[in-house]
Amino acid sequence: MATMAHPDGENMPRPNIAKAGLQLPAVKDYEQIDREIMATLRPTKGWFAALAIAILCLIIGGTAWTYQIHEGLGVAGYNPPVMWGVYIVTFVFWIGIGHAGTLISAILYLFRAGFRTTIYRCAEAMTVFAVMTAGLFPILHLGRPWKFFWLIPYPNWRLLWPQFKSPLVWDVFAISTYLTISTTFLFIGLIPDVATLRDAEKNPIKKQIFSVLSFGWRNSEAEWRHFARAYLFLAAFSTPLVLSVHSVVSFDFAMALVPGWHTTIFAPYFVAGAIFSGMGMVFTIIIPIRKFFKLQHYVTLNHLDAGAKLCLFTSMVVGCAYLVEFFIGWYGAVPVEQAYWMNRVFGQWWWAAWIMLTCNMILPLSLFSQSLRRNPTWLWILSIFINLGMWFERFVIIVPGLSHEYEPWQWTSYVPTFVDYSILIGSFGWFFMWFLLFIRQLPVLAISEIKEIVPPKLKRSHAGQVGDFAADTPGDHA
Amino acid sequence: MMQGMLGAFRELDATVDAIEALKKDRTGDITVFTPTPRHELEHAVHPPVSPVRKFTLAGALFGAIAGYWIAIWCSEYWPLVVGGKAIATWIPYTVFSFELMVLVGGLSTVAGMFICAGIPRLTMTIGYDGRFSGADYGVWVQCAPEKLKDAEAILRRCGAVEVRGAQ
Repeated sequence: MATMAHPDGENMPRPNIAKAGLQLPAVKDYEQIDREIMATLRPTKGWFAALAIAILCLIIGGTAWTYQIHEGLGVAGYNPPVMWGVYIVTFVFWIGIGHAGTLISAILYLFRAGFRTTIYRCAEAMTVFAVMTAGLFPILHLGRPWKFFWLIPYPNWRLLWPQFKSPLVWDVFAISTYLTISTTFLFIGLIPDVATLRDAEKNPIKKQIFSVLSFGWRNSEAEWRHFARAYLFLAAFSTPLVLSVHSVVSFDFAMALVPGWHTTIFAPYFVAGAIFSGMGMVFTIIIPIRKFFKLQHYVTLNHLDAGAKLCLFTSMVVGCAYLVEFFIGWYGAVPVEQAYWMNRVFGQWWWAAWIMLTCNMILPLSLFSQSLRRNPTWLWILSIFINLGMWFERFVIIVPGLSHEYEPWQWTSYVPTFVDYSILIGSFGWFFMWFLLFIRQLPVLAISEIKEIVPPKLKRSHAGQVGDFAADTPGDHA
Repeated sequence: MMQGMLGAFRELDATVDAIEALKKDRTGDITVFTPTPRHELEHAVHPPVSPVRKFTLAGALFGAIAGYWIAIWCSEYWPLVVGGKAIATWIPYTVFSFELMVLVGGLSTVAGMFICAGIPRLTMTIGYDGRFSGADYGVWVQCAPEKLKDAEAILRRCGAVEVRGAQ
């Protein structure tokens, strides 16, 4: 529970710095929150331009996919035995991006981490759209994508028997559950905010739509009580789910007898990497949003600083996993593994491995500097490197393993074609198109939860009475 | 016939005062509207614990059992060649049990919230005002007609910026 203090934005020399327990010293009252966050729903030229670029990227990807369907999977650059390439790399990349949202909204909620309040809505939306994007790739990876429903393991009479001991079937269950629960989490959290939009809306058609979406929410104390309890349990369920989903994704590799894949470190390594990459994407998105919508007094430097510390921590976990992998590859004294690691780090794939190490291990060390953690420009630039590095991490795991297996006569290379790159670009277009549509229709910051951390209006002065009427901690009501 | 009186407040402490005064006076049933959950209101209203957890437990148990069941039943009904090993193995099937536990438990939690909170609601109930999702607090007290005057007096005395009756 924060201590009692009144917001006094004008008199504070550094309005972005929390003071006296106030997270958002420049936010004075509930009216200001409604006014400023609802202002983000008005379309701007920049938003239209960004949407146009996203749709253009999507068209590029869609065109490439159409070409691939017509010509066959041979245009995708596969070179046996490298039959998992850019599509599976990008699939794992987007699943990883989807991890930070639920981490921020669920795990940090349970830990009562104050810095999540203003960034979690953005991260949750990012999660849903990232998992939606990832879900496309197993379908894009098919030669006959119209048979995609054969991937779903249900009993049937086509002699397609579900193999429940296969990690690929676990993956279908894990990712479907993750998408459903993440979407539910996002949607439940939106209900009170949609009710706020409903009550403020003047356009009768929009008001009707918001009325339906808010389910007739009326902000009664009883509704909040059940809401808080349900939100707590959803967070409690989502927390192990976050850890399990990428563990299951890692089993897709770790269960196979491919050099570099068959290792017990993969589950924690993938989970840490997913959180790291997700935080990178959160920075990529939230920093422009706070700038263009003038929300610097909501997503403050303190919030960025705390997020950067999480980013630094997960970077170090990932870096440790890289070093342990290298060490075990050498110390295990298995010639195939040793040859694979030499090929990966100093041989055929050295450039990809060193991009990964530079972006994920070396550059994030800059976050030990407080001034860089509180520098949004540097954080944004670093986040681009993190996104790049984490894509290459998945590339370095998947492609070198398949291209350098046990039999030397099987050793080969892999070069992505323009179809691979176009579909990769298309996936970013797909993701950002949904995200941009989201931020135009629904609040990108959680209105009702931000109100919880802003001291309410009081009739009497309660100065000095710590704890009587203080900024609340979201989650304490459950 | 039960009628009611609605008071709109700008300040949190005034709202708390009104709730406590109405409870002390035993005026009637109180419904509080607030733009965001507040401990002070919760302490003043002193409501029972939400029963949502029961839905969660039931859903999670059902999901966990269903996860094992679907995997074991499919394996037994459409057996694969396993070379003498067990057709149904519980360790890998725990993945399905866990995932369905989370899925069904999560969805039943939401269903529980909807049932307990009485949503979806097709029309706004008497006593609600759009201001209560913005910055104002509302106290709606449902009472017998002879108590309306007392309720109005309490709400005004505690600092309501607007008081109006409804039925």
